[in-house]
Formats: sequence, structure tokens, C-alpha cells
Amino acid sequence: MKLITTIFCCFLFVAISSSQERYLTKNGAINFFSKTALEDITADNNQVLSIVDATNGKMAISILMKSFLFKKALMQEHFNENYVESDKYPKATFTGTILNFDAINEMASIAKIKGILTIHGVPKEIMIDANMLKTKEAILVDGEFMINLADFEVEIPAVVAKNIAKNIKVSFNFNHTPYKK
Amino acid sequence: MKIKKIIIGVLIFGIVGVFVAYKMYNKPHIIVSETTADISISANKIVADFSADETAANSKYLEKIIEVKGVISETKIEKGKGIITLKTNDDFGSVLCHLSAESTKQMEALKEGQIITLKGICTGYLMDVILVKAEISSQ
Repeated sequence: MKLITTIFCCFLFVAISSSQERYLTKNGAINFFSKTALEDITADNNQVLSIVDATNGKMAISILMKSFLFKKALMQEHFNENYVESDKYPKATFTGTILNFDAINEMASIAKIKGILTIHGVPKEIMIDANMLKTKEAILVDGEFMINLADFEVEIPAVVAKNIAKNIKVSFNFNHTPYKK
Repeated sequence: MKIKKIIIGVLIFGIVGVFVAYKMYNKPHIIVSETTADISISANKIVADFSADETAANSKYLEKIIEVKGVISETKIEKGKGIITLKTNDDFGSVLCHLSAESTKQMEALKEGQIITLKGICTGYLMDVILVKAEISSQ
């Protein structure tokens, strides 16, 4: 009887702790910014899905390309139809790991995130620095990094080559909260 | 005389060209509230369509103006913009409607469990079907 109670308690404990291990946001923000002498172009996406597994620091992010909203309708059209071909590749994804995840706590600190970023159907390994903060109620991750368009085989026609930077600054801000169904 | 005519012709052509190019460059975004919806559907149906065959649903719904009817399960404001979640029969999938600045103001009056119709542009499916620039069309 005692054994059964112990086992039951163990299961209960596992069940409770596992319900707390996933942190998620459905409205993470990603912005990209292209700066050239001729023109600054920026677009916002506030519908990014990001999941962090708090047991091992694994991270998975899904981004809808059509959720990037531009100031000018024509830019948005070109971005979707010609550059990232979002009918063919509707999502960009990132899967990776937050390195040294156990060291992250309630104090803001900088951590490295390493993983595979896939844009325009082309995967590339990246390693970036991000500001991290972890409490019981939330995991906050934000930062910025540069991506090179050629790495992802995004072709920019010669006519507008001077309007669009070859390296684009990407900023992100995710406020993950514990996932409860 | 002939040369003058040609120069004037080229000039007019040039001016018209620049004007058209400028107009195209500044082409406005679709105003959701003033456009009739391409598709009217229930929250249940659109989530079911996406979870059954995402590729087919993408070509059917993406970038279209969708009018979706469902029961509110959650309302919240994130960075000054309202987000309304519509309940569905699916355990995980719901419809997330990101409101425009204008309709965020009307959100206060809404309650959980209320039936609502929203109109927005569908951008795809992650865990949920996502509509952006959504407007409240009837409550």
C-alpha cells in the first residue's frame, strides 16, 4: 500500500512539474530593418510563435512570412511575391538551444542561442547573443542580429538593389509564459 | 519645329511615367473595413480546414479577407493592440484575431463567451489560424 502511495505521489509530482516545463508566446515580435542611403525599409510581425522547453533550454520558433506588415503596400507585395516567395515558403523557422540555460535566472543576462534558421526554404546555422531573463511566470528573450540575404538565396533585382541592404537587421522580443491548456 | 514636337512628346511621356510610378510606389494598403469579405466562415471550419490540409488551406485562405464567426474565449491587449481569441472544437487550435488600432477601442465592450463576427486578413496557421488588421463586423 505504502509503495503504491509512493509511486502515485511520484507520478503526481512528475505530472505537476511537466505541466510547468513549457513556456510559450503566440504574439512574439520580430522586426526587420534595411538601411541604405536611398531608403529605410522596416516591417513588423507580431504573431510569432515561440516555445521554450524549460527543462533543457530547447527553443522552437515559427514565423508566418505574410504576417510581416510594411508601411507601403507595394513593398509588402514585392517582399512576399518576389523576394521570400511566401506562397512557396509560407513560414520561416528556427530550432535551437539556449546555451547554458540553467545559469539563467531572474537577473537579466546575456546568453548564446545556437540553432538552425530557415528562411526562404534555406537552412543556415546561426549563433546569436540574446538578453534573457527567467522567472516562474515568464521567460523573456530579446535581442538583434544581422542576416545576409544571399545566405538564404533571396535575390534582389538590380533595379532596386540600391534600395535594399544586403545585410538586414532583425530584432526580436519574446515574452514566454507557462503553457497551460 | 519637328524636334520641338519630339522633345515635348518625350517630356509629357516622362512626366506621365513618373506620375504613374509614384502612384504605384504609394499604392495604399487594403482597408479591411471598407472591403467586402472574400470568404465567410465559422471559426470551427477554418481551423478544421487548416489542421486537415495546411497547404490546400493556405492557397484557399492566405491574404484573403476572411469574415469569421465564433465564440470569444479570451481578449487581451498587447502593445496597445487588441487580440481576440475565438474558441473552436479543436483542443489546441483557435482563431487569433489581431485587431487594428481603430477596433481595439471597441474591444472593451466585449465579454468572454460572446458570439462575434470579425473580418481580417488571414496570414496563416501556426498553432492557431491568424488574422491581422481585424475589424469587428458584428457582435
